[in-house]
Amino acid sequence: MTRCKLLLATLAALILGSCGQIDDRPTLVIQRFFGECGAVYGKTVDVAKAETECGILTTMLNKFVADNPDINVKINVVAWPGYPQLAAQIAAGDPPDLVTMHQSVISDYQVRGLLSPMNDLLAEAKIDTRSLTPAGQRGAIKNGHFYALPWDTIGRLWHINTSLMAKAGLMSGGKPVLPNSPAELLEHARKFKAATGKPYLIQAQVSAPDYLVANLYTYLLAQDAVIFSDSRHIRLNTPEARAIVELYRTLNAEKLTTTSQDFPGATASFVNGEGGIFPTGTWMIGPYDEASKAKGSRLGGYAVVPFPRLWGKSAAFVDGHSWVVPADNRTPAERRAIARFLAFSAQYNGDWVRTGHLPAFRAVLDAPSFTAQPHRKDIAAMAATGQQLPDFVQRQSAIQGLIGEELEAAVTGIKPVDVALADAERRVNELLSGI
Amino acid sequence: MTAATGRNRLPWPALVGVLIGAAIMVAPLLWTLLLSLKSNTELMRDSASALSAPYTLDNYRDIVTGSDLPRWLLNSLIVSLGTTGGVLLLCSLAGYGFARLEFPFRRTLFVFVLLGLAIPEQAVILPRHQLFAMLGWHNSYPGLMLPGLAAPFGVFFMTQYFRAIPKDLDEAAMLDGASRLSIFWKVLLPLSFPAQATLGVFTFLGSWNDYWWPLISATTSDKYTLTVGLASAQMNYAQTSGLGFLMAQAVFASIPILIVYIIFQKQIVGAMAGAATR
Repeated sequence: MTRCKLLLATLAALILGSCGQIDDRPTLVIQRFFGECGAVYGKTVDVAKAETECGILTTMLNKFVADNPDINVKINVVAWPGYPQLAAQIAAGDPPDLVTMHQSVISDYQVRGLLSPMNDLLAEAKIDTRSLTPAGQRGAIKNGHFYALPWDTIGRLWHINTSLMAKAGLMSGGKPVLPNSPAELLEHARKFKAATGKPYLIQAQVSAPDYLVANLYTYLLAQDAVIFSDSRHIRLNTPEARAIVELYRTLNAEKLTTTSQDFPGATASFVNGEGGIFPTGTWMIGPYDEASKAKGSRLGGYAVVPFPRLWGKSAAFVDGHSWVVPADNRTPAERRAIARFLAFSAQYNGDWVRTGHLPAFRAVLDAPSFTAQPHRKDIAAMAATGQQLPDFVQRQSAIQGLIGEELEAAVTGIKPVDVALADAERRVNELLSGI
Repeated sequence: MTAATGRNRLPWPALVGVLIGAAIMVAPLLWTLLLSLKSNTELMRDSASALSAPYTLDNYRDIVTGSDLPRWLLNSLIVSLGTTGGVLLLCSLAGYGFARLEFPFRRTLFVFVLLGLAIPEQAVILPRHQLFAMLGWHNSYPGLMLPGLAAPFGVFFMTQYFRAIPKDLDEAAMLDGASRLSIFWKVLLPLSFPAQATLGVFTFLGSWNDYWWPLISATTSDKYTLTVGLASAQMNYAQTSGLGFLMAQAVFASIPILIVYIIFQKQIVGAMAGAATR
């Protein structure tokens, strides 16, 4: 009997003890990509000392958890880019509270009512949306409402080996001389090859459809060409598009560019000084700057600039990372927790730019945290000139894949340019008709 | 040299062929291992640097210390062992039934089971996901294991194996008064061990390597299996700036599989050879 009482007392103590464990804090589930880097940043909270996308984001989240003990923060790291999991979570009725999302993807979820409009949340977080850069605003506004808090603007840049450019006589006043027209680009490329024996451009043209498409979109936007006439129709078989693709086809035909390289191959070529200019993303500024300064570097001097103005005005096709809030029923306390995180995230935008991406806030563009970073002043203009596709365009990633396949066939000479563009237009329109 | 070893020796052209084949099979694995032992910075510059020192274990250190790896390993082990146990039990019983018992619509049912082989997982993944969501089974071990228990190949495999065992054994056992269940449990099941081992290893491998279903069913880190966990740990553009880490992940994920193969090598080879010559 005594043993029985003891058992009952223990059980009662356990039950009462577990009652004390009930967590009445609002729960905030934050789902992010960019990988794990807990080995280095697992416990750090000093955001100013963190590096790389993963490192800075991990440290920011550690700091938010440490600074907000009244919020039960659950962090979910998902496999890149995390959209299959998000779709599954939404389908299962269990979406996270905050999710990292590319601005080009937002429309896919927004038009289906799967995201919460964020104007109220941003206001509660005391984030003045007018303080966002033009590119940041364009990336976050869908159908007239803010559906995201943008963190950055990402796009392609010309990463330049200035040592080889100097050898080719294409430097002036310590800066690379850039072409101002397609004809001038070909002239520079031929001159470069004659002087150095190396290709003017290093291009990742294999398994990298996004690269070729970024070139096409950028120079179509520069010419104010209407790429999407409405949500179901793309216009690619046009004189403007043909001129752009013909230029890249000529570069390939005259061997003024590397060919048959994927992104890792092209990167290796660039850091080994095997070509003049590598058009690739903002995210590679840090690694290339570091590689150029390394002992025994074959990269030599390094500069980086936005795409040159070959047609029309300065333009850049860009994307960006952002926080979105999937639609769900939330308590006022949970909404306040989300707003608090958004305010916190905005506060550290100056640290995020160490990744190489452009800031989403105008104030950061002028702040020393950005301008003191290597080469950032040279690319700042893209925060204003950067443009996304119209907010009604869905399935942008799939569209890039289709166009990229056709462009690859066109620039490598497998298909005539007009046939490839007509095929790309037809395939994209077929895709869009099924939405 | 004994006469026996002399008789078993391969003629030299065949030996050369086997060695070339082995080299082709081993080279990518060796290349993966070497890449995993190099620093990411070096590999970004030149992946051929993997052929020369210095080597480092930093990528493995980052895997072990930088993520929730022990948890993912445990999850994979639970899911794979649970699925394997379930498949062996269900497929053996079903195989025995189809091979030895007479019941209405036996042939029709067997054909119906075999039709499952023709249906790709992608075709059923949406309704399955919705069903599991409705039942609240996502982010749970049963949710990760149950889809793997529907194994038409396993049923077919075990049915064929039981059919190949002479019925005299059953009849002898029946004369001794054994029930159907006793015959299955005491006579046929022990005889089917090579097939069980083969099916078990293949099921374990399939479950261990599965990525698609765990990706969409286990959406919280604490329920990730190793494949999903390792993928979540990858940074974007890992193939350029984190190639060594990527390869270390591949090596790490394959170690348990290698251990399983080493332990069950005899059974696998024996069963495969038996199946080929039967």
